[in-house]
Amino acid sequence: MLRASFKSLGVLLGVLILVMGTLCVPSFAQETIKIGFFAPITGPVAADGASSKQSVELAVKEINDRGGIAGKKIELILYDDRFDPKEAVSIAQKLIGLDKVVAVVSGSYSGPTRAVAPIYQEAKIPMVAAYAVHPDITKAGDYIFRQSFIGLVQGAAGGEAAAKLLGAKTVSILTMDNDFGRTLASSFRNQVEKRGVKILSTDTFPMGEKEFSPLLTKIKGLNPDVIYNTGYPSEGSLIVKQAKALGIKSKILATEGIDSTIQFFGIAGDAAEGVVITTNLNRDDKRPVVQNFIKNYKTRYGPAPDMVGASSYDALRVLANAIQIGGTKPDAIREALAKTKDFDGVTGIIKGYTKGEVLKPVQVQIVRGGEFHYFGEITDPEIITPPR
Amino acid sequence: MLLQQLINALVVGSVYALIAMGLTMVYGVLRILHIAHAAIYALGAYAGLFSFLFFHNFLIAFLIAMVICALAGILMQQFIYLPLLESPRIVPLIASIGLFTFMEDLYRLVAGPYILPFPVNLGFSGIHFFGVTLTSHQLLILVVTFILLGFVWLIIARTRIGLAWKATAQDVETAISFGVNINKIIALNFTLGSALAAAAGVLIGIYYNSVYPAMGSVPAYKMLAIVVLGGLGSVTGTVVAALIIGFAETLMVGYIGFILPRDAIAFIALILILMFRPEGLFGRVNR
Repeated sequence: MLRASFKSLGVLLGVLILVMGTLCVPSFAQETIKIGFFAPITGPVAADGASSKQSVELAVKEINDRGGIAGKKIELILYDDRFDPKEAVSIAQKLIGLDKVVAVVSGSYSGPTRAVAPIYQEAKIPMVAAYAVHPDITKAGDYIFRQSFIGLVQGAAGGEAAAKLLGAKTVSILTMDNDFGRTLASSFRNQVEKRGVKILSTDTFPMGEKEFSPLLTKIKGLNPDVIYNTGYPSEGSLIVKQAKALGIKSKILATEGIDSTIQFFGIAGDAAEGVVITTNLNRDDKRPVVQNFIKNYKTRYGPAPDMVGASSYDALRVLANAIQIGGTKPDAIREALAKTKDFDGVTGIIKGYTKGEVLKPVQVQIVRGGEFHYFGEITDPEIITPPR
Repeated sequence: MLLQQLINALVVGSVYALIAMGLTMVYGVLRILHIAHAAIYALGAYAGLFSFLFFHNFLIAFLIAMVICALAGILMQQFIYLPLLESPRIVPLIASIGLFTFMEDLYRLVAGPYILPFPVNLGFSGIHFFGVTLTSHQLLILVVTFILLGFVWLIIARTRIGLAWKATAQDVETAISFGVNINKIIALNFTLGSALAAAAGVLIGIYYNSVYPAMGSVPAYKMLAIVVLGGLGSVTGTVVAALIIGFAETLMVGYIGFILPRDAIAFIALILILMFRPEGLFGRVNR
């Protein structure tokens, strides 16, 4: 009697398991496309981390709302790298080994991105760096792509802007002492010297510095036509503010480093008026993709988007485009990315990638009435073509 | 140009003096390295900012910040340092560092990791003379620091409680035996010191238009270097040392450039003074 009931219990259990198994299988089959993302969401540059994260999330939402890519939704797996290269490395290991993503977008700065590029290359997972500028990032290999200009291009464009658009005969370079600053300053110098502009002084300052009066006082004495500044929003805004307080008349030319709506304008105030920057987001671009992005970002998040946001938004879209064309295998994604042609991006029409580097015009924007507006464009192929 | 650099240096040095004063006062009596003082400095900036945004009046915001920090200082003294007075010297130091770390992160969690602007418009853009510019904020810093430090000097040099303070700083036990109320002195130190730190926090917040959680990080250890340089417990020494560091940093950056991070200067000075004159420039040799 007992043995029989055990046997029937066993049969019942077996049937239950079989039924549950059949019921579970369909949900396993509902796949998502896993894309990894990391950005400095906390830490000293949290504002940019937030901008990047929000823009990427907006891009993912828009794609998923339209049905995803070939019917599959994108699953964004995001991590906070706390602006620490070591953290970015452990995130890379997680994304590759644990989350098993098919591609990654880096919403982070050059420091952390440079540290992990070789890791993704080794694992053959394509990574698109949204806005990190250091040349070594793409040198890691053919799986690494850069959505924004390489530092060398932007620095040279800055030099061209100083010489041609601002008509400078003399410049002073006030650069930040890190990957970003050094890359931009050196190519700026090369271009500016080519155009016969005289460099009156070169000064470096550490990231996070607040007290620029000593250096600015010195520069005021030299009275250059243009001061080229490669700081981030905190440093850049203080430089602009303190320069104005000292009564410096030179024009200030900066980079995408200060292309940040809240952090730059909030601190610089009306000292920001007239500042010119090289960047990749042209707020006055009439193309629908740009205006829609600005509108949708504002509606969803409040403040207007900035360069970091625009670059991150495009990075994800370029990747999604590649997945659409090539499928969900990392190798195929990489191939499709490399073959991207004339992509309609918020940050410009991406003509293509050469060794992972993007080819598109550099925007020059000016601050008018507390907002960035179109000032010019650098389209000279000699300057904007990334080095081979 | 030199005059402008000197003015820049004076402004920097004055703020250092304001922050370091609280530290030296606490050390003078309690012999505790009050690292959490830098967290009070940051608290002052936040308290000042939020009061300003609420009341739209700079003076009120300034006073509120000072009161809040004075209170915070007293609370720290009562709940952290007092229970640990009998423990070996390193225990309150660790507690102080722990408290500092906790408070910094608390600011980040409550107010956000962003740099918040502190837009106080003083109504005039500054004064210009001899080709030199003194912005309204710089002028504010110099005036306020002068007044506050002058006030501290007045208390210490001209009042009974100031006398009691000096006695306590020299020798706690003897002072007690002469009938000095130790608790009152300690309370005074924390109140006054914290209020000064609050003032510095507000002034710096306005000057750089930036209030952010990590703003106490550099002052935390730099003030220590200044206080040791000046002589632990010596009020005059602290002011002199603060000015020296302010001048050294500004002149180095202005004339030579950032060959070292500017913060390194305070530490080089610290190393040198510990090597050659450990009691500091104005400190007493306690044998």
